[in-house]
Amino acid sequence: MKYRYAYYTGCAAKGVCPELDQSTRAVAKALEIELIELTASSCCGAGVIGELEPDTQLAMNARNLALAEHLGLDMMTICGTCQGVLSRAHKELASPDTRNRVNAAIADAGGVYNGNAAPKHLLWVLIKDIGVTRLEQKVVRPLTGLKVGPFYGCYILRPSEYLSFDDPYNPKSLEQVIRALGAEPVDYSGRTKCCGFPIVLEQEANAMRMVGTNLIEAQDKGADCLVTPCPLCHMNLDIYQERAEAEMKRPIGLPILHLPQLVGLALGLAPTDLGLQRNMVDTGGLLADLARA
Amino acid sequence: MNQVAHDVLIIGAGLAGMRAALEIGPGVDVAVLSKVHPVRSHSGAAQGGINAALREDDSWERHAFDTVKGSDYLGDQDAIETMCREAPSDIRQMEHWGVIFSRAEDRRIAQRPFGGAGYPRTCYAADRTGHALLHAMYEQVMKRRAKVYEEWFLLSLVVEDGECQGVVALDIRTGELVMCRAKAVILATGGYGRVYLTSSNGLVNTGDGMAVAFRAGAPLMDMEFVQFHPTTLKSNGVLITEGSRGEGGILINARGERFMEKYAPHAMELASRDVVSRAEQTEILEGRGVEGCVLLDLRHLGRDKIVERLPQIRDLAIKFAGTDPIEVPIPVRPGAHYSMGGIKADIHGATPIPGLFAAGECACVSVHGANRLGGNSLLETIVFGRRTGAAASAFVGGRAMPTPSERHLKAARDRVEAVLAGHGTERPWELREALGTVMNQDVGVFRGRGELEEAARRVARVRERARRPKVMDRSRTFNTDLTDALEMQNVVDLAQVIVAGALAREESRGAHFRKDFPQRDDAKWMRHTLARYTDEGPRLSYGEVTVTRYEPMERTY
Amino acid sequence: MRIEIEIERSCPEEGKAPYRERFRVEVPRHVTVLDTIIKVKNELDGSLTFRRSCRSAICGSCAMRINGRSGLACDTLVESELHRFGRLLVQPMAHMPVVRDLAVDMGPFWDRVRAVQPWVSRPAGEEPEWPVERETLMDQDAVEEMDDTSRCIMCMACFSACEVSEVDDRFLGPAALAKAYRFVADPRDAEHGERLKVLNGTGGYWDCTRCNQCVEACPKDVKPMEAIVDLRREAIGSGLTDTIGSRHITEFLKIVRREGRLNEGRMPINMKKANPASLLGVAPLALRMLRRGKLPFPVHAPIPRVREVRRIIDRKGKGDEEAS
Repeated sequence: MKYRYAYYTGCAAKGVCPELDQSTRAVAKALEIELIELTASSCCGAGVIGELEPDTQLAMNARNLALAEHLGLDMMTICGTCQGVLSRAHKELASPDTRNRVNAAIADAGGVYNGNAAPKHLLWVLIKDIGVTRLEQKVVRPLTGLKVGPFYGCYILRPSEYLSFDDPYNPKSLEQVIRALGAEPVDYSGRTKCCGFPIVLEQEANAMRMVGTNLIEAQDKGADCLVTPCPLCHMNLDIYQERAEAEMKRPIGLPILHLPQLVGLALGLAPTDLGLQRNMVDTGGLLADLARA
Repeated sequence: MNQVAHDVLIIGAGLAGMRAALEIGPGVDVAVLSKVHPVRSHSGAAQGGINAALREDDSWERHAFDTVKGSDYLGDQDAIETMCREAPSDIRQMEHWGVIFSRAEDRRIAQRPFGGAGYPRTCYAADRTGHALLHAMYEQVMKRRAKVYEEWFLLSLVVEDGECQGVVALDIRTGELVMCRAKAVILATGGYGRVYLTSSNGLVNTGDGMAVAFRAGAPLMDMEFVQFHPTTLKSNGVLITEGSRGEGGILINARGERFMEKYAPHAMELASRDVVSRAEQTEILEGRGVEGCVLLDLRHLGRDKIVERLPQIRDLAIKFAGTDPIEVPIPVRPGAHYSMGGIKADIHGATPIPGLFAAGECACVSVHGANRLGGNSLLETIVFGRRTGAAASAFVGGRAMPTPSERHLKAARDRVEAVLAGHGTERPWELREALGTVMNQDVGVFRGRGELEEAARRVARVRERARRPKVMDRSRTFNTDLTDALEMQNVVDLAQVIVAGALAREESRGAHFRKDFPQRDDAKWMRHTLARYTDEGPRLSYGEVTVTRYEPMERTY
Repeated sequence: MRIEIEIERSCPEEGKAPYRERFRVEVPRHVTVLDTIIKVKNELDGSLTFRRSCRSAICGSCAMRINGRSGLACDTLVESELHRFGRLLVQPMAHMPVVRDLAVDMGPFWDRVRAVQPWVSRPAGEEPEWPVERETLMDQDAVEEMDDTSRCIMCMACFSACEVSEVDDRFLGPAALAKAYRFVADPRDAEHGERLKVLNGTGGYWDCTRCNQCVEACPKDVKPMEAIVDLRREAIGSGLTDTIGSRHITEFLKIVRREGRLNEGRMPINMKKANPASLLGVAPLALRMLRRGKLPFPVHAPIPRVREVRRIIDRKGKGDEEAS
């Protein structure tokens, strides 16, 4: 196996989005990526713990990174929010002073961290490590005719001080993957916007307006579905889509795919292996169209 | 709405204007009028600091001496003493109002060395002191709900029966002309850097208040004294604070020599600005410059110090010079920066026209004489903004609101209509460039009779052409093409006064250096230049310098 | 180099609806967007309207949207814009009424700033006597705590970029809230408690969606969102815990402490503990999720080695020495 990563699932893939974990493993297998799950890894804090206790969140993530470091591997994430938090932690822990201070907090709670084990999102692994060319070569069933709206979500792009993989205002990585899979990316302004998940409990109407506006824009520009690298965005765009429809007073019915679900389809994997039956906005129609194409 | 009336009307919402507004007493109705939102005022661009003798082992007398010497003995010593004596209280009051000064180990306001000062007495807020003061001042203005006419442009001063009765202004948003009656007017409109082609000043610094006052009969004083700041960026004239030298930055020429050794062996880079500018210009003219510049070297300060004390200038260098001062020296050269001259005003801000006051850079009290020390400009705005506000406030007591005639409004309207009708052939920027080029070349750091006479002729021609600018925008709503043209007319008037004063003054003093008269001549020239408007050009006369305790001495650093 | 710049123009006062106009102009290589529009105004169309002054990112006049990104025109290089986006499109800032072309009405923005009472409040009667003999003593640490937020030049780029402001005009927005934090952090300000209380409700710091658009847009590195988060922390620390936002955070931490992971199935229950009846509203959705296998059981076995995580949390992320 050429590619090996310490696999950091994050919380959503173990709870509300089991289809994300399922499709990730299926795609990894198809691309000959070996994933060694960090079973003892904790929640990354999602920025939420960091609001109240930044030291706690940083220490928890130093521990998470240490777990990967102990395996001698880089860490692969599958959640944009986890990636955002871990990228920042990784950068902050690059400073020896910070590292020493934080290691004092985790030495007897998981082991020390020495600054290695870079966290990388599956999206980045596909673009940088696997490479678009190789990915193209692995495509068995090109998604010809499928118009896919990329929805990046905030934390895999911003702040660019910590997330330097893609241009925060004009990112290209999802578009590159979409094209490699034979599909056509849809350009719409919502692709770099926020889904509103952080305030869905606190100000649901606002969050639904954000979701609804972005979905409608993508749909009006011809998108057959959206793809997103963050399960929290997925939750807001998919599970809450009916609420967004109510807020915007308009039916939408736009399927939302996790990144590995989209990739898996092009690699010829069965929809049930990718957990597509779990997506709340039904993907049946989409799959039927693909089958016909 | 064609008319407003206030007891005190302040034109300009920078530091001096707002400070004056905050000093107006209860029961006196005050309003501020500004052509930009207050926090856009150029006071916010001041970087380095504000001076005061705060420490027990410093004294206001020493501050005053440094200032007098810095002024090359042209400053009025009573005004200077007043400013230096009141400075500590003014600074502390600013701190009380919330200004975030950097702090020393002992938790008091931190101070650093600055050019021409014998003691480190420049208080600072990182490298954005002006910004810190400006925003705190505006916070107080918001707190007191002071009335501000935002984006109103000063057109003319209303002088009737020998006294100031208000102004006529243009509401830029609506294009309406408004007669603003007032019992007292304070002009606090800042400097005129845009007279020069390259300047550290913002594009709004077109000396509107000075020009308007001049045309209305107020005398302008010492206009030939233009401060060229030694460290402005080559690309756009933007300022690199003196604080960078205060923190230890050095100046080197193409040979890597620390050339200030030759010109100011004791103070070196922290000599007075005019001394440093001349040194730089000499190095450049004699072929030891680097593409028309010298180099400001901060590398030896180290990353930590630069990031902590000079973050803003590091940003400016990276953005506009394309290099990081942590690694590469910054190319800099002298640029027009500050106007020592201005509307003649006394230590209460009163001008010779009753009811007209002036404070800040647009005024000439004179506290800076022939050359201003760094850190004294911010100080002047606070001290004299306060004093002028108090004086204007007292002045209006018991007075009736004036009722000036309609002709002022009509004259202003005619002027605006003439510009809008736009039968000219030259765009305002073309005129500005023509003017600025002459000023940069012939009325800069080094001056000579031949060049000044030529400059006078060329400026007069530009001034003639500026009467008929080509304005392309006919709209009433937010017409900045119109205001560009009106500003152009202000700038040419001021240029004329500067050239006239420079030509007449046959000596070298402070920032005014004559190659043909390189010595200071106290016997003949220790006096202020006063310029009054006539249709044939500025008419010059001279006024005494007030000396209290400091007899003029040779000025070396 | 010869470039094309596309500018969104309008004049509502004179009935001109927004339209795009293209200009071709010759400019030097290292030119800024501001230099370019000044050249267009000077040489091609004097009616092009925009604000500007200092040209050095301190006055805040020239904020606008450049290729969709809110920022200052004077510190944006044309070359880098062309390289990144393949074009140069300039529009007025968002979320404010346009006066003309690129000049917007700043009124609504300043209303929000004023709403946080942006001045240092001293206890009544503490105006200093003249001459003022001493200043308030302050640690440089306190100065540094205010360093980010005090850098704000009120250019409004953050407000223009703010995603919540896009959908909710009750939200005070990043600049106003960052300014509020500047005062909360100021040891001289006597109104901390009041400020936090007032801004604890609708339109205040809990309404931010933490999208980082303001952090990304700010030309002065103020990081307004981080100031908003600081306000939240201060609020919780001072006992203002009766909001959905603060409960979200504390319940989140509780769940993670128990299980090592966030159990999204548990969160709504914890959140609605105060209001069990409202759980009924979530029930239909929950049922559908259950049928699709997306509803995690509200109680979950903890992760392996969860004790380590608990230890970190209990010590608040500090080593023994630091914590004591």
